[in-house]
Amino acid sequence: MQTWLPAEFMQTSEGKAADAILRSCVHCGFCNAACPTYTLLGNELDGPRGRIYQIKGLLEGSPVTAQTQSHLDRCLTCRACETACPSGVQYAKLLDIGRAEIAKRVPRSVPQRLLRRALRWIIPSTRRFGLMLMLARALRPLLPSAVQRYIPLAKPSGVWPQVRHSRRMLILAGCVQPVLEPGIDSSLARLLDRHGISAVPVYAGCCGAVSHHLTAAEQTHAHIKTTIDALWPSIESGIEAIITTAGGCGAMLRDYRHILREDAEYSAKAARVTELCRDPVQIIEALPIDAAAKGRRVAFQAPCSLVNALKLEGRVEAVLQRVGFDVLPVQESALCCGSAGTYSILQAGLANELRERKLKNLYLAEPEIIATANIGCLTHLNAASQIPVAHWLSLLEMD
Amino acid sequence: MNHDLSLSLQDQVKEAIAKKHTLAIVGGGSKSFLQSAKADAELNLSGHRGVLNYEPGELFISARAGTPLAEIETLLADHRQMLASEPQHFSQGENLATLGGAVACGFSGSRRPFAGSLRDHVLGVNMLNGKGERLQFGGQVMKNVAGFDVSRLMVGARGTLGALLEISVKVMPKPELEQTLLFECPSVHAVKRMSGFVHRSLPLSALAWLEGYLLVRLEGTETAVSAASAQIGGDVAEQSANFWLSLREQTHPFFRRHQPLWRLSVPPAADLPIPENEVFIDWQGGLRWWQTDRSAEYIQTMASKAGGYAYLFRDAGPVIGDSPPTGLLTLHRSLKQSFDPDGLFNPGLMGGQF
Amino acid sequence: MSLSKTTCAALMTRLGKVLSKHALLHDEEALRPYECDGLSAYRQLPAVVCLPETVEQVQAVLRICDELQVPVVPRGAGTGLSGGALPDHAGVLLVLTKLNRILEIDAPNFCARVEPGVRNLALSEATRPLGLYYAPDPSSQIACSIGGNVAENSGGVHCLKYGLTVHNVLGLKMLTIEGELLDIGGKTLDAPGYDVLALLCGSEGLLGVIVEITVRLLPCPECAQVMVAAFDDVAKAGAAVGNVIAAGIIPAGLEMMDKLAIRAAEDFVHVGYPKHAAAILLCEVDGARVEVPEELQRVRQIMLESGAFEVRIATDEAERALFWKSRKATFPAVGRLSPDYYCMDGTIPRHRLAEVLTRIEALSEQFGLPVANVFHAGDGNLHPLILYDANREGDLTKAEALGACILRLCVAVGGTITGEHGVGIEKLDGMCMQFKSSELSQFLRVKAAFDPQGLLNPGKAVPTLHRCAELGAMHVHRGQVPFPELERF
Repeated sequence: MQTWLPAEFMQTSEGKAADAILRSCVHCGFCNAACPTYTLLGNELDGPRGRIYQIKGLLEGSPVTAQTQSHLDRCLTCRACETACPSGVQYAKLLDIGRAEIAKRVPRSVPQRLLRRALRWIIPSTRRFGLMLMLARALRPLLPSAVQRYIPLAKPSGVWPQVRHSRRMLILAGCVQPVLEPGIDSSLARLLDRHGISAVPVYAGCCGAVSHHLTAAEQTHAHIKTTIDALWPSIESGIEAIITTAGGCGAMLRDYRHILREDAEYSAKAARVTELCRDPVQIIEALPIDAAAKGRRVAFQAPCSLVNALKLEGRVEAVLQRVGFDVLPVQESALCCGSAGTYSILQAGLANELRERKLKNLYLAEPEIIATANIGCLTHLNAASQIPVAHWLSLLEMD
Repeated sequence: MNHDLSLSLQDQVKEAIAKKHTLAIVGGGSKSFLQSAKADAELNLSGHRGVLNYEPGELFISARAGTPLAEIETLLADHRQMLASEPQHFSQGENLATLGGAVACGFSGSRRPFAGSLRDHVLGVNMLNGKGERLQFGGQVMKNVAGFDVSRLMVGARGTLGALLEISVKVMPKPELEQTLLFECPSVHAVKRMSGFVHRSLPLSALAWLEGYLLVRLEGTETAVSAASAQIGGDVAEQSANFWLSLREQTHPFFRRHQPLWRLSVPPAADLPIPENEVFIDWQGGLRWWQTDRSAEYIQTMASKAGGYAYLFRDAGPVIGDSPPTGLLTLHRSLKQSFDPDGLFNPGLMGGQF
Repeated sequence: MSLSKTTCAALMTRLGKVLSKHALLHDEEALRPYECDGLSAYRQLPAVVCLPETVEQVQAVLRICDELQVPVVPRGAGTGLSGGALPDHAGVLLVLTKLNRILEIDAPNFCARVEPGVRNLALSEATRPLGLYYAPDPSSQIACSIGGNVAENSGGVHCLKYGLTVHNVLGLKMLTIEGELLDIGGKTLDAPGYDVLALLCGSEGLLGVIVEITVRLLPCPECAQVMVAAFDDVAKAGAAVGNVIAAGIIPAGLEMMDKLAIRAAEDFVHVGYPKHAAAILLCEVDGARVEVPEELQRVRQIMLESGAFEVRIATDEAERALFWKSRKATFPAVGRLSPDYYCMDGTIPRHRLAEVLTRIEALSEQFGLPVANVFHAGDGNLHPLILYDANREGDLTKAEALGACILRLCVAVGGTITGEHGVGIEKLDGMCMQFKSSELSQFLRVKAAFDPQGLLNPGKAVPTLHRCAELGAMHVHRGQVPFPELERF
């Protein structure tokens, strides 16, 4: 596509990147078909092609208002459009640039700012999130039942095996998962332990994804650096891989190299983390796991982070199939469930509509259980699902 | 035979315009069961004949409108090709069906649901409109969306929009083998069984029902036909080519009763209460030929309730044929006006209206 | 000409009573992304964008526009490649994507009723569990809408055997510009009176606004297999196409890709096409399980005899799907080679394929712009993609000039300027090449029969005689035409 970015902006690395991305778009519209919000709203402005166009206008200096911002806000960053895009447009990178630019030009309302700040303050902190959840759990009996189901009950954290093997990997705990579903990581640790790999947990708080979604670059960089600092001693001691059981965090780690590419101090370290990060499925598919599931019917909800960011489509399904699950077909499997980090809070209407649609598609083949691979999807779906939703790693340990 | 009368035909049209005469377009005169236009003069195309272009590898043939269909079919057969829609001739004695007449009437035979209609296969026309202009629409290639699809609009227009001079139609390879299988079956179950066959990925080229039998025509390579035939069973019909020809040309004894013959085009699965001995079901259920003395209103209501339409196809005297639906009458008039502003061609042939 | 202030105010007030706030876009910020369809080289802001959700709303919008004499440009998914949905500066852009319900799947009658905004692929996905599918599959089928398909009479990679949209549509509900709902055809294989259905297919939104479509569904073939034949010479591949057809075989699809197209496609979907191929042919055969392998062998033999140096048959369904995914994504994948491309759509007689491709290559060199070819070889429907850079001054003009030469060439060898993409805004001059003024006048009269005020998609598909006259004069004045040896029109 033709671009007219201001010469000054073209001098910056953002400007160059944006221009290259914009010019790689040929305006074919294949992306719209893959986009959850376009599917729901049918408005060019709420599809990737239209957002690219709006960002183009924004960067070219056209006047913009909160209207454009709201269309950019509605994007889930599920990146299904990138998977669909034949000409290889790096949409998410362009969106980051666009969101940062519009944040400078269009100030948000005070309540919006407070909400976003609160989210950035609470979620990334395991301690603060844990306290909030404890409080909510304590008040749960007093709340109306409709609200009750949104407050997940405490779950057992499971036993973490002793570090005894020479093969070692790190499991990055992340922020909300240790509070919400502490059992997932330990079940992975036990599984790895049985196959001669010792997993070492690392608690470093948020990987940076939450603030990244909320276009808070400074905080993002700070979170990333904290995470890198926490990981670094083990990396130096020669661990094999860094695993995260939340696909969303995995996608973020994959982007460390890009985000800190211009940071003199951290760029090399960030690149190393990106190199070492793995999704559990990449480790597990190589292990000789016994078939034990005896044909249980499972519908797998493939998280967007897994499919579009990590490009691991179909891999978890294959493992589940191999260990004996009856993995059911899911219609519209590429459509986001609506969780998308803080999206389910900031865009609750759309998020719920997407969840309803996702659940309908998941129920279609009548599964006994729904599996997923990301803490966000898991909590979001569980709050409304009639069929239990579990992390696929927990399924490997059942029976 | 090869004669180009286009200049003379164009002159005749211009003369008619000048004299404010109407023209009845005449071809081979084969379809005499249809009413002919009552006009001041005749525009006879039967002498305007000859194949203009035929390249088997390009899958099309172009010919002047007056070229006898039979001549075209023989030429195609020599190259193992055919007009896949099996247009009806209704030729009788000297009155040979022409390509132009077939296109103007737009009838298609039993292969219609599987290979497309004559309209589907028309690629381009060269015609005279009511202003005496010689116009070319479409072409000789398979895909062409330049301009409105006037060529296909001419199919079945009964010459009311203009006189066709040259026509290009798509042709298809003739199948290696044809075999027809018969299954005893009451007419009430016929349509459902046909649908079952369609779902079985068979090389079908006709599904019909007549006189207690379901007729399944298979066409394709020898392997495909024999495998399909082995798969579905049934009795192999002998002399099947002649049999299908007699159905297409309505020379089969079924059509020889002296009763009005109605043509009902309906959704294929339509369940119509037509007595078994009065009906021939073709087009996988989509076409029902009914010989009956029932009233027009009764038959047309039945067809329209089923989501289709019906018209009297043959009777003791000449018939009008199909009429535009009431809701589209205004549009039909405007279209007629746009091609033939003075109402020159074939007055009254579009459903007796214009 | 733009809308007068009073008309605009009246329009907005009246539309506001029919449509919700979110369904009526008026300020430039919101209109901008609607300024073009799949052909982004042509841009124009509309006065208003309407996003109706019901047929009644569409009807109301049309009535308002008719009364106020405001032009209306209907638009579906906006994937068209001829600028057919380019907005009118003084008009309403009527976006039909919200009308996206599948109203009925009638399996016993082998048909479905859909709203115009239903995506082509979504329909086949919905009917596949019943063993049925909708045959026309344009390469953009993942995104394009069926309403748009009807407007353009879209083809696809399987139309060699299964026909174009016109062959697979049984009925339409259409609104006239006056807002009158017309019922055309139905679930039957034919309809009484004039074949208005055929006339509407490919009418590019000039005659009416289609609000419901009854399409034919076909049973999914029991078996389908695809092969790739690689050639070291484009001409050999072109000849192979003719040889397959001449042998009496009608493959389900027969597609050609040249070197540049292969490179782009491989970059997106890694299929592993032979690297040294100058051209490949993708040939699909479908039907009964017993016959497909036999026919495939026959095709294979013909390919080898025609000079293919390698013939590969997809080993399983997954690989077959991959081959087609790669083919169908090739246009946009060319975006990996060049920031912009200009896609042509001429159709020619098959036996001229090799010759025309060679001449296109020469033209490409003459104009200094690369041309990638990926197209429906079996139908003779070419898609030369002219690669250019819109940011480079003069490039677009050069691309357009090259495109015009290619179309002239197509017409000269007995073909047409557009096989399936439509004339839209960008092939109006081509129409002047292909049709005489009496023929264009006839088109204009047909248009007037539906839309006497000329409000529906004005300025598209059929050029005014004035435009053609000017173009003709221009050619005479300049006294130089790109191909003096070619027959003039």
